Amino acid sequence: MKQNLLRKIIGGLSFASVLFVFQACYGTPQDFGLDVLIEGQVKSKASGEPIKGIKISIENEGQNQLSDDNGQFSFYTVAANSYNLQFSDIDSLQNGYFEKKDTAIAHVNEKIFLEIELDPR
Amino acid sequence: MFTNLKRKAFQQFTKTETKRHGLNYLFWECTSRCNLNCLHCGSDCSKQSSHPDMPLTDFLNALDTIENKAPHFMVVLTGGEPLLREDIELCGRELRKRGVRWSIVTNGMLYNAERHNSLLNAGMGALTISLDGLEKSHNWLRNSTESFNKVDNAITLAASARRLNFDVVSCINKQNIDELNEIYSYLCKKNVKAWRLFTIAPIGRAKNNSKLLLSNDEMKTLFNFISEKRKNNEIDVKFSCEAYTGKYETYVRDSYFFCRAGINIGSVLIDGSISACPNIDRSFVQGNIYADNFNSIWDERFQPFRERQWTKTGKCAICSDYKKCKGSGMHLWHGDKSEILVCHAEMISYK
Repeated sequence: MKQNLLRKIIGGLSFASVLFVFQACYGTPQDFGLDVLIEGQVKSKASGEPIKGIKISIENEGQNQLSDDNGQFSFYTVAANSYNLQFSDIDSLQNGYFEKKDTAIAHVNEKIFLEIELDPR
Repeated sequence: MFTNLKRKAFQQFTKTETKRHGLNYLFWECTSRCNLNCLHCGSDCSKQSSHPDMPLTDFLNALDTIENKAPHFMVVLTGGEPLLREDIELCGRELRKRGVRWSIVTNGMLYNAERHNSLLNAGMGALTISLDGLEKSHNWLRNSTESFNKVDNAITLAASARRLNFDVVSCINKQNIDELNEIYSYLCKKNVKAWRLFTIAPIGRAKNNSKLLLSNDEMKTLFNFISEKRKNNEIDVKFSCEAYTGKYETYVRDSYFFCRAGINIGSVLIDGSISACPNIDRSFVQGNIYADNFNSIWDERFQPFRERQWTKTGKCAICSDYKKCKGSGMHLWHGDKSEILVCHAEMISYK
């Protein structure tokens, strides 16, 4: 703790706050960005069975993912005050036929688990 | 006086950092396979590498030996071309489960919209893409007629992601030194926020190719260009941490030169070797994850990286800037290590 403080004082004296931010010659920038983990499961409202192949999209981020065999999904995305997620059945009748659903979530702190139910068409 | 105080404080800072040697940047050379055959390749990668990709579990076993990871500890996946591994996203997710941030260095050949999406989903937070000029000069160095179009697409995707801390790196050589301003304009148009420039060291395939190595005047041109562009903040342009730059120090980077290889930067190489930056001569290897405990090696060895008096040899022995430079970048020491390969400060001091 004391050593850390001393390190910061000396770093500050050399007028380079960037001293603690570096990248190796052939490396990438360091990652100080904030993100959150959004996980969940999509089920049929009628049967309670998990649904495979539902496309989960995050509005304005261009990110998406398909639910797996267990209807589960999991992705990291940039930290924000709120998210609008869209759940769409893009494989038509292949894994059942379900209505689209929009869900707004707010105040995600590091991670959240969502249980989503879709109405059959 | 002000500059002297600043310099002295910095020297003290480097001493403290060296003594402390906190690992917060770990390269994982996860594959040595590559889908390009670049003229300047220094790592002897090939399309059919003799080394198989390192299994994820082997790397995780080494990673798990690290006690008390630094607050911003991260793993940089490199190669070869890391995207040739189909399990990069799985690797990334396993790292995030351990609370570790991760990033990749890529040539962009396989970085399409689908891969961009899956990498972001897996928690990638930083990215570096190599671009070595406008179309003709980039394709020349990359030895591929498709390379520029692919990397152009990769840059578009990366620049569109709010989550990514992303930069472009360029190896400056005789073929692209005259198009620096055009590359800069291109990157501005692509909405790139950070651009890092390198020179090519006479190692690997570059050793016998005079078109790749800059002359003294070209080196000055490069440093003058970087200094000039840093005055406006359109893009964060900087010279890489590869070498001490003499009178250009602080004009071409955010702070004075400090090679952190083996001080804050470590690596697990394709054969399990434990070292610092992957471009450093393999004679500096300090151990192997298949025989040693990674954490013990990091804590107890790495003396050549942390005590650099041995670099005071050859021209460095009589150099008045030695205290500031400390033998420049570790990757510039090869063979019997009796002489530094290139001295950037010497190159720019010629009239």
